[in-house]
This record gives sequence, structure tokens and C-alpha cells, in this order.
Amino acid sequence: MIDTSNNITDEQLIEEAIEGSKLALAKLVKKYEQTVYNFAFKICRNKERAEHTMQETFLSMIKSLNQFSGKSKLSTWLYTIVSNHCLMLARSQKKYDYTTLENEEGLIDDKNVADWKFSPEKIAENSELKKVLDEAIEKLPHEYRVVFMLRDVEGLSTQETGDIVNLSVPAVKSRLHRARAFLRNELNNTLGK
Amino acid sequence: MKNSKVNCKEVMSHICDSLGEDLDSPKCVNIKDHLESCPNCQKYFDSVDSTIKFYKKYNVELNDEGHQRLLSVLGLDDLDEK
Repeated sequence: MIDTSNNITDEQLIEEAIEGSKLALAKLVKKYEQTVYNFAFKICRNKERAEHTMQETFLSMIKSLNQFSGKSKLSTWLYTIVSNHCLMLARSQKKYDYTTLENEEGLIDDKNVADWKFSPEKIAENSELKKVLDEAIEKLPHEYRVVFMLRDVEGLSTQETGDIVNLSVPAVKSRLHRARAFLRNELNNTLGK
Repeated sequence: MKNSKVNCKEVMSHICDSLGEDLDSPKCVNIKDHLESCPNCQKYFDSVDSTIKFYKKYNVELNDEGHQRLLSVLGLDDLDEK
């Protein structure tokens, strides 16, 4: 098995990979494949497309490894490639949704508030719940979905998220606000008691 | 938010803006006070918080076959046993 347990930094592995070390490259891939696959799934909501996106992401990484400046983290760079690839894929499949959720005021549903019948801890064992989550996120336009996943789910900072999707901090906050409200409403329709 | 009263819709909107951020700042005092005394807004807060947690906990694992296919696509499959 490719050993990724020692303390070699990403920068060292990148340097060695640029110099031709396939082992260093394999270590980088091994280190980030799960993160890339999981994030690709969170955006694409389809395991086949997530795997394809993961493969394309690492192919892109290998092609342009010598352009990696080290100014940002490798993980941030990989998130950027995945986000762009998923966006292109969605556009090519004509599933791209140009909805912009403009009506921010209308997204806050103060009349329909209820306790939910499932807690987040139940997600691993409940395929019906996973279906509800998939259906809700698929209704969320792609640009909002990426911001929500990067900031809230992956835990990146607002600035890092903005750098990846090429948006200002206020624009990221605005999209995040709308994405949270939209998803909460969608889930509330099904999970509200 | 200054010292004026806030309504539920404003509080809910603020929750969507600032969840996970510092609610102790002076401008948020009214929001926090309202939240502590309004069961409806607390439920709204919980539902937004749960929304994020649901998606955080919904993960998929790359299986061995997917890992092997990736290495093969990248021309690195001969290194996997090293």
C-alpha cells in the first residue's frame, strides 16, 4: 500500500512529483482522493459522476502541478478544480439551473416552523432520509450549492470560499444566507412534524 | 441591530446570515434576547442548524475498486503495493 503516514509536507511531495517521482504523486493522490471524491459527490449527487470528476480533477492536477504556486493550500486548489468541473458537467448535461433565488425576503418562512422528526445523527442508517436530502440539494442552483458545501459543510472560511468560486466576501455571505434558508424550507416541508 | 425591537422574521433572517458566528457582539444583543425568549425562533434556529449538520454527516466513501480505477487512469496502479 502507498504509505502516507510519514510527515512529508505537500510542498515536498509536489516538488518530488514535478521532478518525476511517481511515488510522490501516488502519495498526493492517496492523501486527497477521499476528500475529492466526497466533495465531488456532495456537488454532483451521483456516485458515477463523482468518480469521473475525481479522475478528471487528479488528471488536471498532474497536468498543471508545476504551476502550483504554493500560495494556497493544495486542498483549496483541488476544491477549485472540482467546483469548476462539476459546473461544466452540469452545463453540458443541460441540468444547469439559472435560478438565482433573488427573492431573499420570501425565503424566510416564519409561518412554517416545526420540530423535525429526524435528527442529523440518524442519517447513516436511513436511506429515505438520504433521498430527502438529495432531492432538496438538487433543487438548489449550482452556484449556491457550491458555496453552501464549501463554507458550511467542508468548513472553509468565507474568504477561502470566495477565492474558490471567484466571489467577494459579501457575495459569498449573500449566497450562503439564501442557500441555508432555501434548504431549510425544503427539508422542513418533509421533516417538519 | 440597535435597541429597537426585532420581529421574528428579522431574527430568522439573521440566523441564516450569522449561524456559527459570534452572537455576543453588541449589535446582536436584541437578536439573542429575542431568540432566548421565542420558542418559534428557537425552532427555526434548530432547523437551520440541523440542515447544515445533515449535509455534514452525509458522506460517501471511495471503495477499493474506485481507488484502483483512479490509479489506473493516472498510470499509477503499479505503485499501489509499494
